[in-house]
This record gives sequence, C-alpha cells and structure tokens, in this order.
Amino acid sequence: MRCEQAGKMMSARLDGHLDQKETSRLREHMASCGPCRVEWQKMEALDQLFRSVPMWDAPPYLHIQVTSRIERQERARRAIIGGMALAIGVATLGLLVLVPFALGLLDNLGVGPALVVGGLETITQLVLLFDVLSRTLLILLDQFAVPLALFGAVSLLMALMLNGLWIVTIRKLRVVR
Amino acid sequence: MPDSGDIEVPRSNCVTGEEEWIEAARKGDKAAFGCLVEAYQTPIYNLTYRMLHNQAEAEEAAQEAFIRAYRYLDSYDPGRPFSSWLFSIASHYCIDRLRRRRIDWLPLKEEIAEPVRLASVSPNPETVATDRDREAWIQELMKVLSPTDRAALTLHYWYDCSYKEIAEVLDLTVSAVKSRLYRARRSLAEQMEGEPYAL
Repeated sequence: MRCEQAGKMMSARLDGHLDQKETSRLREHMASCGPCRVEWQKMEALDQLFRSVPMWDAPPYLHIQVTSRIERQERARRAIIGGMALAIGVATLGLLVLVPFALGLLDNLGVGPALVVGGLETITQLVLLFDVLSRTLLILLDQFAVPLALFGAVSLLMALMLNGLWIVTIRKLRVVR
Repeated sequence: MPDSGDIEVPRSNCVTGEEEWIEAARKGDKAAFGCLVEAYQTPIYNLTYRMLHNQAEAEEAAQEAFIRAYRYLDSYDPGRPFSSWLFSIASHYCIDRLRRRRIDWLPLKEEIAEPVRLASVSPNPETVATDRDREAWIQELMKVLSPTDRAALTLHYWYDCSYKEIAEVLDLTVSAVKSRLYRARRSLAEQMEGEPYAL
C-alpha cells in the first residue's frame, strides 16, 4: 500500500467508512511506516479537537437585524415602484396634454390633411424630408460632439443627484412616520 | 463565545413547525420567516464565522444569507431539507466572499503568502486546555484551507453532515467531498508542529 492511499483510508476511518478488512490493511501499513503512523496520530488528534469545540452562538439581535433589513428593503422597493408609477403617470398625463396640441399643430400646418389627401406621393416626400433632417442631425452631432457629451454628462449627474434626493426624501418620510 | 452547540429553540410566539413557517413565509409572512431565522441563526452564524474568521463579517454574512433565503424562498424545493438549502446559500456566499477577499489582497501583496507554520500556537495540552485556546488554534489552522475545503470540514464537524449532504450543500460529488476532507485533514496535520498530543 502506498502512503497516499493510506492517507485517504485514514480519513475514511475517522468518518467510520472503513470496514474491518481495510482497517487491518491500514494497520499493517502503519506498523511498518513511521511517517504514516505520525500522520494518523495527528489526524486523530485533530479529529478529537474539532469534535470537542462547540458552535458559536449567534448574536441575540441577529434575527431582529434580518427582519428589519428585509422590512427596509421592501419599503425601498415599494418606494422605487411608487416613484416609477408616479413618473409613468406624469409622462402619460403629459402625453395626453401634448398629443391633442401636436395634432392641432399638424392640422394648422396642413401636414395632417396633406397626409390624408396626398397619398403615396406625400408619404414619399415625408420620408425624404426625414432623410434630410436625419442627415442634418448627424452633421450637427459631428460638429457639436464635445458640447453634447458634456451636456450628457451634466444631465446624467443631475439625474443621479435627483435620484439621491428622492431616496433621501423617502428615508426622511419613513423616519418621520 | 461558543455555547452548547444545539440549534436554538424558537421563541414562544413561534408556536407552529418549520413547514408551516416556510409555507407562511412564502406567502409573505415576515413573522413566520422571523421564526425560521430564530431557529437557524446559531447554525448559520457558526458556519459563517468558521468560514470567515471575523465576527463582524460573519454577522453580515449570516444576515445576507437569510435575506437571500427570503428573497429566493419560492425556489426552495420542499422535498429537500430546509437546513441543507440554507447552508448551501450561506456556504456559497462565504466562499464567494473569501475568493473576493483573495482577489482584493493578492495584487497588493504581489505574492502568495506561504502557509503559516503554527509554532507560536504549539499543540500541547497546556496551550489548548481552554475552549478559547482551542478556538484560536482551530481558527488559525483553518486559515490554510481553501474556502470550499473549509466549508466541507465545517459542515462535517459541526453539523454532522454526511458526505452526501455536504455534496448537496456545496454542489460537489460524493467522491469530491471525500477528497476534500482528506486533503483538508492532511493540510491541517502538516500544520501541527512536533509530536501530536492527546486531548
């Protein structure tokens, strides 16, 4: 028997997974192998040591901390969902106000009736118009890339600040409640 | 400090059993989940402490394990022991945390530290006579183990988990568990200076 195999058998023996025949083979090996004998003594001592040490008791307030953290997270989730619902509501309201206005504007400019009356030719012209507009936009973007990037960064910063303010307000409201 | 090691008995307001608590907690009953936390707080805290070796981190990890359990309670299979499922969450969280800790520290040290030989905590009956000494020595010894070996050894010694149960908790095969336990024991034995002692 090789020492490596003997080591594995020692571990199995500590866990009670070695039958009598294997135990005898292991004993025979250890009787003739000093290092394995020492290793077995160490493993056995370690086994006793580990079995003698009890569990660590949890802090008495652990379950309170867990339940209050769950409460906090659920309130925050509710606040986020509430905030999103509010934002969607405001956007919908805005659209409800803006759409009739935009339709009225299109009618006044003659675009609406032209679309109804003009048919395919008007639609082709409109597509061409959009093509020109998008090309113009691309040129503008190319020209003003840096200021636009700055504007984007500032917008992002403001959005983050507003988000932070929103969270702080929600927390303060919770404390007051 | 360590105590008796038994699973803590739930308080008087938790009058029903584990299955009822799980069922109620799944329906959003936080009080029922609180009963589960009370019942398992000591085993889970002990596991996280044995893994992380730091009280503050262990407390945080135990809390996180319970919070994750609450969040993913719908994915719990009632055919499996709840304790195994909970141990699995806590073990994997601690393993990830230990791996992140290694990643955080290795670039700063720019070298892999050699395992510490425990000459200063020499294993003789005098120095390991008290629980405190034994604790300190065990914690020092376990530092040399990999996160998964540490988890396997903890589950084996403090929870009497069988090879199969450890395999289920750690997503390993039974033969992998045997190898890990052997490897862990061998590493620990190598840390012992001089002649072994008898307790």
